[in-house]
Amino acid sequence: MNKGFTRRDFIKASLAVGGAALVGSPFHIIGRTAYAAKEEYEGPLPNIDVGGIIRPPGALPEKEFRSKCISCGVCVNVCHTMKYDAIATVGIKDIRNFGTPYVKDMRDFPCALCMECPKHCPTGALKKLEMEKVTMGMALIDFGLCFGWNGDVCLSCSKACPMGAKIFDFYNGEWGNQPYINENCVGCGLCVKYCPLGGSAIKVVTEKQYGNIKPSYTAEFKKLLAMSNEERYNIVYGQNLPQIMMRGRLIEREYR
Amino acid sequence: MNTDKDRAEEQKSRSQESGEKKKKMPLSKLRRFVLLGIIILFLLQFLKIKVLVGGLSGSLAVWFVKLIDIFAYFESLIASKDFTLTAFLAVLPIIGIYLVFGRAFCGWVCPMDFLFEIVDGFKNWSKVKVKASPKIGYVIAAALLITSGLIGVPFFTNYFSHLTNFFRFITGGVFFALDLPFEPSVLAYSGGIIVLLLVVEYIFPRTWCRVLCPVGKTYGLFNKISLIRLKFREGACGECNLCDQVCYMNVKIARHIDRSSLRDTNCIYCGRCAEGCETKGKLVKIKLGR
Repeated sequence: MNKGFTRRDFIKASLAVGGAALVGSPFHIIGRTAYAAKEEYEGPLPNIDVGGIIRPPGALPEKEFRSKCISCGVCVNVCHTMKYDAIATVGIKDIRNFGTPYVKDMRDFPCALCMECPKHCPTGALKKLEMEKVTMGMALIDFGLCFGWNGDVCLSCSKACPMGAKIFDFYNGEWGNQPYINENCVGCGLCVKYCPLGGSAIKVVTEKQYGNIKPSYTAEFKKLLAMSNEERYNIVYGQNLPQIMMRGRLIEREYR
Repeated sequence: MNTDKDRAEEQKSRSQESGEKKKKMPLSKLRRFVLLGIIILFLLQFLKIKVLVGGLSGSLAVWFVKLIDIFAYFESLIASKDFTLTAFLAVLPIIGIYLVFGRAFCGWVCPMDFLFEIVDGFKNWSKVKVKASPKIGYVIAAALLITSGLIGVPFFTNYFSHLTNFFRFITGGVFFALDLPFEPSVLAYSGGIIVLLLVVEYIFPRTWCRVLCPVGKTYGLFNKISLIRLKFREGACGECNLCDQVCYMNVKIARHIDRSSLRDTNCIYCGRCAEGCETKGKLVKIKLGR
């Protein structure tokens, strides 16, 4: 007598699936974090730290934000229902900020500046404000990896930017269109996602960290602009282009 | 013949009884419907249906009304030492709701109550064993408020709250399944807190709700002024003490049965006493108003 798929079968199957998921999930997590670490290593500006956590738009200053946020998860879920999924919660490593929201993965899930989370935060830790006045962070271009700084014309970042011409300065020359992001940048990270280089050539750091590294970063920028053609040729063909080519091969992950 | 007649009569009376029961849903069932309904409304947010967004410590109803748990509000207020109108407007509707329903939050909305009942099912419910006074909870709540004021972080709500961690766990699990950005450590931590509470529940039944939980204690204060109360009908009490024994929260009901009503800060209006009463006509009832 063939009863087909009985209840017992169903229980067995569900137990098997559940068990497999339980056994498999740690490997899943470990694999992914390992890959994330690898990408971090291969990311742009490896010498510059993000310098803290990048909050959702409209966040109060760090200390006030920490005291007001009750980590209820409204912003996380609002971002999810808006289908951007940019906001995650801070892990246990940073115990002082544990459970509070931050923008985790700008390469895949940048903030789209829809301004829904500050509008709906029930605690007032995120304050409602205009899109132009957001100060999430500051996007920095890695001049060694950017196509526009290495003999190419690429406008991907400026096309993705919601502020557009306000933020991008172009120093067109023989070595490409040479984009530079000025201080009007709000740090949403859309350019990070739409950079065509494997692993992106743009990194978003906090405003505080930008204050620390600003002298060295602008000095490098000015040095590159003032450089003679011969020196520039050596840098581009000697160091940068091999790097760029390698990234195309190494970083396999598709962007989402 | 005789026996058949008796049986028929019995059946008749039984069917009448069941008919009466069908008219009014038993409170224990209604309670579960309310709770599961609210949780399902929260789960709908992952299908992008914006009825209730967030969690029970803070949420957004119908994409418009902001809501904050009262204890979370006070913690945030003391931690930041700064009055925010947004947060105040968010806590007002909750205060309004529980001025009517008192501590019914614990019995009707809190998801831990449901989980605790499942854990209770693994062993026979016996009378509450831990004799600690429920007043300890107020000391703990005050200590938590002072701590959050000192460290400048809503201490309980951010780290240990069962409400926050329950919804954090669900969100983390869903994001994990959908391969969205989340921290594995947050998922593990919040799951750990929930499991810890369930283990505590297994060893010391209902000690968390009755003695420790500061959220419940805050709502308990509302019991003194809320519209809802335990009402006693006049009648001959059989003094079986079933209402006392069946009570999760160790409220002494039989002792006060001579009064017309009872307001106890520990009562969660779950209705177990009303269902447990064996006297004909049920002496105990939950009622709104006088």
